[in-house]
Amino acid sequence: MKKLRLIAILVAVGSLIAAQMLSAQMISGFPAANEQEAATALAAFNKADKGRPDPAWRGQKFTIGVYSAGQRGAISGPLYFWRNKFEELTGASYDIVEIPFAELREKIFTDLQTGAGRYDVIINCSNYYGDYIANDWILPIDKYFNDSRMPKWDRASIAAAVANLMKWGDRWYGTNNDHDAQVLYYRKDIIESPKWQAAFKKEKGHDMPVKMDTWEDVLEICDFFNGKDWNGDGKPDHGITLHLKVGGQGFFHFMALSAPYVVIPNPGDPVTKVTKYNNVYWFDPLTMDPLINSPGHVKALETLMKLSKTGSPAMWGWSLGEAWADFLSGKAVMTFSWGDVGSLAEDPTQSVIMGKLGARGIPGTKTPYDLQSKKFLNLSKPNMVGNQVGCSWHPVLSKYAKNPDLCYYFMAWQATPPINHWNVYMGWTGVDPGTTSDWFAPYGSATIQEYVDGGYIADDAKAFIGAFQDNFFNYKIFQNYLRIPGTPEMQEVWDVHLSEAITGQVSPKAALDRTYADWVRIVADYGKARMLKLYQESIGYKP
Amino acid sequence: MKRKDRAKYLFVGPGILWVLVFTVFPLLYSLRLSFFRARLGMAQQFIGLENFGRAFTDYRFWSVLQVTVFFVVCDVTLTVLLGLGLALLFHRPLRGQRFFRSVFTMPIFTAPIALGYLGLTIFHEEVGAVNTVLRALGMVHLPAWFSNVWLARLAITLVDIWQWTPFCFLVLLAGLQSLPDEIYEAALLDTSSGWGTFRYITLPLLSPVLFTVTILRVVETFKILEIPFSLTSGGPGMATQTYSFYVYLTGLRNFNAGYASALAYLLLILMMAISLFFFRRLRRQYE
Repeated sequence: MKKLRLIAILVAVGSLIAAQMLSAQMISGFPAANEQEAATALAAFNKADKGRPDPAWRGQKFTIGVYSAGQRGAISGPLYFWRNKFEELTGASYDIVEIPFAELREKIFTDLQTGAGRYDVIINCSNYYGDYIANDWILPIDKYFNDSRMPKWDRASIAAAVANLMKWGDRWYGTNNDHDAQVLYYRKDIIESPKWQAAFKKEKGHDMPVKMDTWEDVLEICDFFNGKDWNGDGKPDHGITLHLKVGGQGFFHFMALSAPYVVIPNPGDPVTKVTKYNNVYWFDPLTMDPLINSPGHVKALETLMKLSKTGSPAMWGWSLGEAWADFLSGKAVMTFSWGDVGSLAEDPTQSVIMGKLGARGIPGTKTPYDLQSKKFLNLSKPNMVGNQVGCSWHPVLSKYAKNPDLCYYFMAWQATPPINHWNVYMGWTGVDPGTTSDWFAPYGSATIQEYVDGGYIADDAKAFIGAFQDNFFNYKIFQNYLRIPGTPEMQEVWDVHLSEAITGQVSPKAALDRTYADWVRIVADYGKARMLKLYQESIGYKP
Repeated sequence: MKRKDRAKYLFVGPGILWVLVFTVFPLLYSLRLSFFRARLGMAQQFIGLENFGRAFTDYRFWSVLQVTVFFVVCDVTLTVLLGLGLALLFHRPLRGQRFFRSVFTMPIFTAPIALGYLGLTIFHEEVGAVNTVLRALGMVHLPAWFSNVWLARLAITLVDIWQWTPFCFLVLLAGLQSLPDEIYEAALLDTSSGWGTFRYITLPLLSPVLFTVTILRVVETFKILEIPFSLTSGGPGMATQTYSFYVYLTGLRNFNAGYASALAYLLLILMMAISLFFFRRLRRQYE
């Protein structure tokens, strides 16, 4: 008896301690890292539209599938962070199923193909849409826009290029969340240093092109800095850092870099009109013939290869983390990548470059290739092309969702400007900027103080946000996003062939010719006529 | 039927059902799939031998086969030779024999995927153990393990050898220990040459075990996937993309189940041909 009593006491005390520990981590109902984070989140929560949750939702549950990054990780983190408040609002809850990135498409597509319906809401990569639409796997959400139960979110404030990724034709399928693009990041203190500018002039014979409007400028600067000890640690440092390992998302680098070499504006009005020769990148919109081995693409790959030689030779085998670490640890003078770099630059546990961050929209080129005249042009001003490279992770509704109304409530609530903007300026969430709520005046309503509250140095925030704002709102034309069935397979073969070229196994032309042949086969497998129709719909081409 | 008979079928039944459901059915279904165009979200279409024919015109098929054969030849040769060497070394009274035997066999219990990720930390070009040591020794141009075709293949070979040499060592040591001592005693009367004893007595007597170890290693290495998957992701380019890796990508990443099944069956046919060749040679030797 005595033993039993002792055990019971120990269990009770242990439970109390555990409960105390758990409750201590919750601040104002958020599993926040500190008081300030909780306070700003509470302010966003109070400001956000909450609609009128249906009482019938009490006690209901749904499941969200998301790529695995943990409770304070990119994209998955906000789902954990806002869960308690969602429960408070609706009386309902959700389970979060984290899926390793490498298995994400397999698990989601298998779930949808078999009708298992394990995931009600999927935080998906935008390039899955082609398969979704072709197989009728997700539900349109237009019918909820005038439903008084549902929170209102501002579709007009989203950058048009990203908003298109949440739609197919005129129908909406996704709600606002992440807005991916690649921008150029650089060490402002080094590039703007009079000492290094003088050294550049002495070596190259002309002023350093600090604006870096073109990839040729970037190449020249990276070539200059590569191998020099510009950070004063006594060892040679790098020009650029890139993640070029097979499977390391290196093809996204090429995607962003090559766009200005291939995408040229419509000579008429509007400049963004998609024609056979203008505002196209992937396939001929009339014949579905791949454009991927055009002379413009080849020249872009040659530029990327030259760039890859102005940094660590190891970067041909680097994934994201290693490439970013090279820049954040102060060993590389520049990189081009997603918004994660901008927010990680402010993390003192990972970055030594706080207060030294420069950023700009992706550079262009003065010699793009004209598909119509089949010649390289010689422009007086650079051809600048905006990009939406990446996934732009956002939620969609599975057609097997057991309670789609409740699921949409969650999606819309997370998409409300105050909550989405909070997710953006809290860098750890991995949600990148892309709406007018994220830009500074006169382009938007964000304030520097919000970003400072999120842990940014004010000048870094201005540079980072300014670059994204430039990309999404100031570039006149955009690279289309590939969203047809088979897109992930096309990207996989492309990634392999790009690596073959970069590591010198084949020439750039041969690598892209192989990509061309593989894409022809993939299109044929899925049915050329079907793919052509879907491709035309996805890029807004009207025959 | 007597109660005893019924009881024995009840005990054996679940096992049989398991084999039927998880081995026989997938085998037969994948054979069926290999004759179909079976892509995600599309109705299956019978195409006869087209998938098999396509493999022979697929440059990636030949590339991954070439890479796999490279690993088979290098890894099998080196693991068997090293395993034999270690077995000969331990086939004598040695101090601490039991301890070293246990330590040498530990890698065999490690999951290959974990070894691949461990390899990342060992061969990392900037901060890996190997290059750190080489840098300390004064080497300026350090090996680019994951960016160079042949160094990437070497890295995979070294990890694979590290994992599988203990298996060869264990089996060959058991083989050596099963050889009759009387033959060696008789041989000592004729010769004191260690090499002569090894060549004319040990090797012929050990050959069945050697053949078995070799064929097992050949079959296993032809299926190599986890180490290149985790260490190099098949890169640079396709330099370390093996046959199984290609089948995995085709079937499970790109959802082209028909073609992936055809590729898998082609590998099965190749493995059966190699095994047949080996066992015929072994039989001839004994005849």
